Parts: sequence; C-alpha cells; structure tokens
Amino acid sequence: MSEEQQLRLQAFLDGELPESDAREVLAWTQRDADAAALLTELRNTRAAIAKSELHLSVPETREFYWSKIEREIQKLEPVEKEIAAPILNWRRLLWPLGTAAICFVVAMMEIPRVNIVQPVAVVSQDTDETVVETDQANSDATTYRDEADGTTLVWFSAAADANPISGKMPGAIN
Amino acid sequence: MKLFSATKIISAAMLFLLLAGVSARAASGDLKLEAQLVIGSNDTKPKDAGLKPVASDIGKKLKKLPLKWDHYYVVSEKKFSVGNGNTKKTSLSTQCDISVKNLGDQRVELTLASKGQNVGKITQSLHKGQTLVAGGDADNSIVVLRQAD
Repeated sequence: MSEEQQLRLQAFLDGELPESDAREVLAWTQRDADAAALLTELRNTRAAIAKSELHLSVPETREFYWSKIEREIQKLEPVEKEIAAPILNWRRLLWPLGTAAICFVVAMMEIPRVNIVQPVAVVSQDTDETVVETDQANSDATTYRDEADGTTLVWFSAAADANPISGKMPGAIN
Repeated sequence: MKLFSATKIISAAMLFLLLAGVSARAASGDLKLEAQLVIGSNDTKPKDAGLKPVASDIGKKLKKLPLKWDHYYVVSEKKFSVGNGNTKKTSLSTQCDISVKNLGDQRVELTLASKGQNVGKITQSLHKGQTLVAGGDADNSIVVLRQAD
C-alpha cells in the first residue's frame, strides 16, 4: 500500500474526505483486507490516544489564563530582538551614519568658503581703503573722509561741473 | 514601547544644530543696509513740503562734510539685505538708481547711476556706524548708505 493510500485512509477516518471519495474508500476497505486492517489499527490508535489524553483544569478563567501566557510571550520578545540584533546592526547604524554623511557634505560645502573666499578678501581688500572708479569720460571723483565720524563722501563731477563741495575744509579733501 | 530610540534623537539633534549653525553662518554674511536719497538745501524749509529732514545722526554727519548745504531732506529711503557675494539693485527715484554688492567682511561696492547711466563705483568697508555719502552730476541730490540698525 502506497503512502498516498495510507494518508487517504487517515483522511477518511478523520472525516476529511468528500462524500463521494469517502464512499470509494469505504468500498475499498471492504474489498481489501490490508486496507481494512490499517483502518482498524488507525481507529484503535485514535481511541487509545483519546482515552489517555490528560484533562487538565486550571483555577483561573480562560481569559486570565491566556492573558498570562500572552504576557510571558511579550516578555520574551525583547530577548528575541536582542538575539536577532547582530544581523540587523546596519539598521541601527543607519541614523548615525546618515547624520555623519550629511555633516560631511555640509562641511565640504562650507570649507571652500573658508579656504578660498577669505584669502581673496585678505589679499584684495585693505582694511578701510576706499576705491573709487568713474564710469563717464572726462569725469572726476573727489573723496573726503571723516575718520572720526566714520563718514566717507565721494563726489563725482564732470569737468565742467560746478563742484558743490564748499571750501569749508579744503585741506581735508583727498 | 519607545517611539524613538536615543540614537535617532541624538542624530536628529545633531542635524538640527548643524542646520541651525549653517543658517546662522549664512545669515551672518548678510548685510542689512539702508539707502537714502537726500537733497541738500540752504533753505530752512524744503521746497517740497512733504519732505522730512534727515535723522539727526545723519544730519550731524552731513553737516560735518564739506558740502555747501546746511539742511538735508529725505526724498526716499530703502532698506534691504544683501547676501555675501550678492548684488542688490534698487531705485531711489526715477533718475537715481544704486547697486550694492556685498563683498564680504562688511565691504560693499556701491554703483551710482543717474538717468540710467552709471556715474561711478565706490568700494569700501561699511561697518556699523560708518556712512557712505555719494553724489554728483552737479545736482543737490546725494545718496547716503549705511548699515541698518
């Protein structure tokens, strides 16, 4: 008898077969002595197991009993996560590594400002020097600085212009 | 159950501080400026009754300059911010435009334009308290540029 036939007998005994299949199996066991013997043995085994099964009763209610089990399972969960953690360490590192990567990128973007822009400023820009350029032909510019007051006056004038700068402090005009 | 792990909170805090630092650095390079178009006059009252005298601190500075006027009145005023390396153009009147470039280290390049034509360019430092006065074209209009309070 094949394993498939044995399983079919077991299914028949457990009432898992459709009615037509069940009828076929019943006819088969009536024709085949081996099949009938196996079916009998399976019935006896099931009966023996059913008789010997312990019927335990607990003092708590059903809900309370299962809630205790649920709590125990929940207590065990972190331990399971801890065991699994070494495999998933990259997830823990994702945030710190991501943050470090962003910091690095920002730092790289900031460094050129420090290294390139500042030297240019130092070389080309002398403290409080005033540089004046005129954009029109035949024009001139007069610069006056009041250092104490922090005021600089620049007057652009064409050659024919009347200069509005008075003669109050001619010596101070550059 | 923890909503966020300590690692996430620390990382988020680091990111926040970093971004705050970068923003502060970017903002620190900005120059907040105040430009005024001012006319000079020897009359105690302006011809245009709508014009107001310049602020007393500016008035004192202007009076110390070797200009031929005794009174100064504000025609228009603009306040603006210029980022490091950026240029801001603005019109102070229909005939007067200025362009201010922030050169960094509180230095500016002021370009003066009259009637659409560039008159000249001035480059100098403009720290708080410093004032740059520019004029020309035989006019009684002057531009006063300084850092805004």
